[in-house]
Amino acid sequence: MAYPLQSLSFQTLFDAVADAMLLISNTGRIVEANAAALSLLGYTAQEILDLKVETLVPSRYQAQHIKYRKKFAQNPEKRPMGTGNELSVLTKDGNELEVDIGLSPINHQEKPYTLVTFYTVTKRKSVEQALRISEESLRLAKKAAGLVAFDFDASFKVSDDNEQLLAYWGAEPNSIEQHTGKNNGSAAPVIHPEDSAIRASAIQLATDPTGSGDFNVEYRIINRTNGDLRWVSAIGRAHFKDGRATRLLGVVRDITEQKILEKKLQDQHAETETLFAKEVATQTASAIAHEINQPLTAISAYSEVALHALKQKAIDSASLKRALEGCVTQAQRAGSSLHELLSFLHKGDMIREQLNINNVVKEALMVAKSYGYSDFYPVLQLESNIKPVLGNKTQVLKILVNLLRNAVEAIREAEIASSEISITVRTNANINMAHVTVQDVGPGLNHEIAKHIFEPFFTTKAKGIGMGLAISRTLAEANGGQLWLDPDIKIGATFHFTLPFAS
Amino acid sequence: MKTTPPTVYIIDDEHAIRDSLALMIAQENIPVMAFESAQAFLDACPQECSGCAIIDYRMPDMDGLELQAELTKRNVTLPIIFLTGHGNIPTSVKAMKAGAIDFLTKPVRREKLISVVVAAMMESEKTRAEDASYKEAVKCIASLTEREYDVMLLAIQGYHNKDIARQLGISHRTVEIHKSNIMHKTGANHVLDLARIAHKSGLKE
Repeated sequence: MAYPLQSLSFQTLFDAVADAMLLISNTGRIVEANAAALSLLGYTAQEILDLKVETLVPSRYQAQHIKYRKKFAQNPEKRPMGTGNELSVLTKDGNELEVDIGLSPINHQEKPYTLVTFYTVTKRKSVEQALRISEESLRLAKKAAGLVAFDFDASFKVSDDNEQLLAYWGAEPNSIEQHTGKNNGSAAPVIHPEDSAIRASAIQLATDPTGSGDFNVEYRIINRTNGDLRWVSAIGRAHFKDGRATRLLGVVRDITEQKILEKKLQDQHAETETLFAKEVATQTASAIAHEINQPLTAISAYSEVALHALKQKAIDSASLKRALEGCVTQAQRAGSSLHELLSFLHKGDMIREQLNINNVVKEALMVAKSYGYSDFYPVLQLESNIKPVLGNKTQVLKILVNLLRNAVEAIREAEIASSEISITVRTNANINMAHVTVQDVGPGLNHEIAKHIFEPFFTTKAKGIGMGLAISRTLAEANGGQLWLDPDIKIGATFHFTLPFAS
Repeated sequence: MKTTPPTVYIIDDEHAIRDSLALMIAQENIPVMAFESAQAFLDACPQECSGCAIIDYRMPDMDGLELQAELTKRNVTLPIIFLTGHGNIPTSVKAMKAGAIDFLTKPVRREKLISVVVAAMMESEKTRAEDASYKEAVKCIASLTEREYDVMLLAIQGYHNKDIARQLGISHRTVEIHKSNIMHKTGANHVLDLARIAHKSGLKE
């Protein structure tokens, strides 16, 4: 029982220790290295013995290390090395390992040695803890901002991961953890069918190696449990390797409240626009009415004076002459008032320039969106090298926005799920003009309505004033083109318009 | 006193309308005068004028309603017919409330215009006759002396001469003389007649 461990040799104990240990002489040479140290540093016992300890120090710290070692030798005490600093040890194959280092002075047979211990486990633990803290703060930050991160792999399929992500907006909207846990996804919300195409095209755009890699899309999700509809905004960036997208990273945010507010503002805007348009129409009509009614009143009175003069026994030729002259003057005046008014209304609008019709189409989509007509999926078929057209940009934009607006309103009214509007731009070789086609999948127009659709003040909308198509047609014609309704298409309504080329 | 025959006054900023309507009215042998603005009419029109005014509702500077208000302010009791391009209900109601006799929408038919003008002129004549008898009555009453006025007040309340004499502290004979003078000055035949004249002059019981 007495001293059972006395026979345990220093070497056995030294090799059994889990931490890497070195014994260094006062000249800085390695005199002993335990098994853990050899394994950590990648040397054999033969290789490491007698090496200068600075061999294990990254070269940028070597000069400093020699100074520190000499200072330690003058005042040796047991302490951790380089407190508070990042310490690294250089392995044989050139890797730097982050470690904590303990220094213990040992005197043996009048000679000073230093026992060096590398603590890799504590170091790893502290790194892990730092990572955990950082992840935790990120999680809290995301929770506070209502964000959910996503990370798609190379396939970019609408995968389980995506379902997990969407589970955040599922039955328990407060539980972010739900999306990280392995939920089976049965109660997870689904992407609104009308929006899946928009989302898919945004992913396609982001992962296009020739593009910017930006991912930015808004879409609706439906909670399968209670049918709730929420708007979300996804923002992210694709990562590329060897010319191929490999990952898509980003965050998703609930923007339902913001959408409701936006919608309200747009409705108000649209209402104001309609009121304003109505007021303008009323003012214009009232100005025209006044200009015409005044001479009409005089003509009517003069005519009756003339009639009365004729009925007298002795014809009152003086009155008759004056009345008839008055009639002529007033009829002429009415005509010239109208001409003046019309030329005033047309004044200033007609500056024509060379336009890239493809760009005007794209701009019209943005304008329509800003007016609140964004709930459709545009299918663009543009002719990339089409010749420039000659036209007034504002007026051509107005034609396109009017057509888009009509299409969206038709789709909305009919409550049709698939809301594609296709816009085709091509060269019509027969007439040598640019030919634009706007086609919706709405209910279309019946024969009776189609007959009147271009008449001013004809409308099928509860709130419209019926000037949109009449104005659009006038504008197309003012720009040297034409606008018509396709009579043969059975699905939806299809409008065409043409514009002359600049050359 | 200057006498103007009953006349139709046309006030419209539009020459052709003034001219054609004036011709039409002249064909009926009704005196007619035309003015190109409210101000031109106000400058020319005597307070004693009679007949009627055809006023364009919508005129620059002073419009029809403003002219109507100005005439009322000046005690010109001329029946007013408004002419309007588009006779909407609120404006016509406003004009009628302010005393317009009629509201015509352009273009206006001869028959309609003439009948409205004739009705307005008769209205004017009636007003003028009433006005004349009122002025006459006021003149009669004003010609009485203070004592005669007191006697008249009591007489039209039905007091006998004896009671009047006692109330005023004068002799029965003096009352009889005053009464004879009152009847002479007012041209009244009896007390009831006197009461009518007093009432017309604006005297209340």
